[in-house]
Amino acid sequence: MADDIVDILIIGAGASSAAAAWSLADTRMRILCLEQGGAMRPEEYPSTSKNWQVLRNVPYNQSPNIRRRDADYPINEDDSAVSVANFNGVGGGTVLYSAHFPRFKPSDFRVNSLDGVADDWPINYSTLGPYFTQNDLNMGVSGLAGDPAIPYHEFALPHIPIGKMGEAMGRGFNKLGWHWWPSDAAIISQDYEGREKCVNLGPCNSGCAKGAKSSVDIAYWPVNQRMGVELRTGCRVREITVDENDMATGAIYIDADGSEHHQRAEVVIMACNGVGTPRLLLNSTSPGFPDGIANRSGLLGKNLMFHPWGFVEGFLDQPLDSHLGPMGTCILSQEFYETDPARDFVRGYTLQVTRGQPAVNTALVGAMRGDIPWGEDHHAAFEKYFGRSVNMNICCEDLPEECNTVTLDPDLKDSDGIPAPKITYRLSDNSKRMMAHGVARATEALEAAGAIQVNPHGHTRTTGWHLMGTARMGTDPEKSVVNEWGRSHDVKNLFIIDGSIFVTSGAVNPTTTIQALALYVADSIKKNLANLFD
Amino acid sequence: MTDRIASDGVLTDEQRRSLDLLLNMIIPPNSERGMPGAAEVDLIAYVNEFAGDSLVPIQGELDALNEKSHDKFDISFSELAEADREALVEQLRSSRTWTAQSIVVQTMACYYQDDRVVAALGMEPGPPFPRGNEVVSGDLSLLDPVRKRPKLYRE
Repeated sequence: MADDIVDILIIGAGASSAAAAWSLADTRMRILCLEQGGAMRPEEYPSTSKNWQVLRNVPYNQSPNIRRRDADYPINEDDSAVSVANFNGVGGGTVLYSAHFPRFKPSDFRVNSLDGVADDWPINYSTLGPYFTQNDLNMGVSGLAGDPAIPYHEFALPHIPIGKMGEAMGRGFNKLGWHWWPSDAAIISQDYEGREKCVNLGPCNSGCAKGAKSSVDIAYWPVNQRMGVELRTGCRVREITVDENDMATGAIYIDADGSEHHQRAEVVIMACNGVGTPRLLLNSTSPGFPDGIANRSGLLGKNLMFHPWGFVEGFLDQPLDSHLGPMGTCILSQEFYETDPARDFVRGYTLQVTRGQPAVNTALVGAMRGDIPWGEDHHAAFEKYFGRSVNMNICCEDLPEECNTVTLDPDLKDSDGIPAPKITYRLSDNSKRMMAHGVARATEALEAAGAIQVNPHGHTRTTGWHLMGTARMGTDPEKSVVNEWGRSHDVKNLFIIDGSIFVTSGAVNPTTTIQALALYVADSIKKNLANLFD
Repeated sequence: MTDRIASDGVLTDEQRRSLDLLLNMIIPPNSERGMPGAAEVDLIAYVNEFAGDSLVPIQGELDALNEKSHDKFDISFSELAEADREALVEQLRSSRTWTAQSIVVQTMACYYQDDRVVAALGMEPGPPFPRGNEVVSGDLSLLDPVRKRPKLYRE
């Protein structure tokens, strides 16, 4: 194994990895992907059991600290206002994501020019345009063209059903004169590329047993493997190795049997997202890189961005069947997305309307809150709430701050003894003001839709789904970790293609933009093959 | 999950009697709606299979309830007259000296996944997959006012 050299070594088998591997496969180079988790078994997902509502609580929990599968590594979140959500396995975070798939907008790449905060990206919306389109086709994305809040683009598949709940909220938004639109979703609403259409199982975020949700283990990896990409599972990378010429030489990994290997490679691509990538690079120290490989800027692990996330729950006085349908997607409003100088915060947020609670959560939360009492009135109260709830999510743009970091915990280690990440994160004053505005507007929208009860929960800690900014891209090696096409400034054959390289966060779920970036970086590698390391 | 699938022997007789009474105080049967009482679903078997960590707290909450009953009435909870049982539980809950949180959490989870309950709510029992659910597509004419708006994004 020691003499085995691959052309391209990709670390991680999630959203960005799958897209990049697909793009690079046509070069006929030898591509190997190392993934610390295993292949998923959809037949074991919670929705195959009548007890799905509780089975998703632990083995498919979004938090690695609760899930604690063999492939998971612990994360110290004691100093963080947001706790991390991820998944380690073939498909990465897309195994558990809700598949809400809105794109970044043009202004998201130009926040400094437009609003005087943070930095502009070294690329723009049009750079990624063709890659958004290609990725939508590869993944299988459903939506409705013509949304005035985003540059026009078409969809291969019609939008997923918005249901009675979406209609009711649409009427509410219309009363207020606000924007709303059916959500773009990486869920196939019709049969597509050999996959059967969504049948509204519901719990997308504990794995899709139907295979209708476009997680990359379904949408990309089977194709990639047929094209010759090798995917090696149960392989936990400990370190990226580097030679005296500042060139990456490969990766040291531990296989499922506990044996250590050194996989050599001509090019190394990091695809472990905003926490896993800096963790691994910070763990990769050498005389030339005492603070971690690719970290001469000192910015590796800094500028961590989540999306500060809030909830407002409402109950309408009509049966909506709101417990049915893909849980994480329905409609959204981007009325407050762009900066308005009249507000007391800069940048903006998306209001996402997601489905209501299933029966167990309705009863449990209602009982704990006192809305659903013990005794004779229990059944009538349950009927009042079940199928009539609406979740309004406030997804706030997070601006980069160097004090928000991923570092290595001095004590905490994973099961192979590799230092675990520590998250240090706080909400900025701008985020807090934005959140307060969003909670008030979400409440207003619910009331306009006829809500008889509104519970504004505000910022919620267990919402760290979007991990961005910890290896930001830029043209200045002193102010960024990778260049404008994802190559490390310090190590010419090391690339990063995941959410780490985001300069700013936008105010939408990042997966489609991550994948468009990955396709763009892969295409840049292909275009620059002749002088890739110059 | 544990290997135990039956509830026999997990609780003492006193705990069992108290639990049955308590469960129907939380969710009583309702013949009009066709809803069973919570005592009719096997909570302990469910807890054994899906929430083993809750068993000890549940036993503790039942013991605490009986202790309160003995303190106030010199008899166990299950021996109390119905009015006294209700008065005791009401007093304990309102004073927050006994909340039965584990029992309530697991009762809601067990009850609302029970086939009879699911059917009585008008849904089809069993797992969502492969059956799925019907959801109306939605009336897109509602978007007409949005379609008429100029572009909302900045370049």
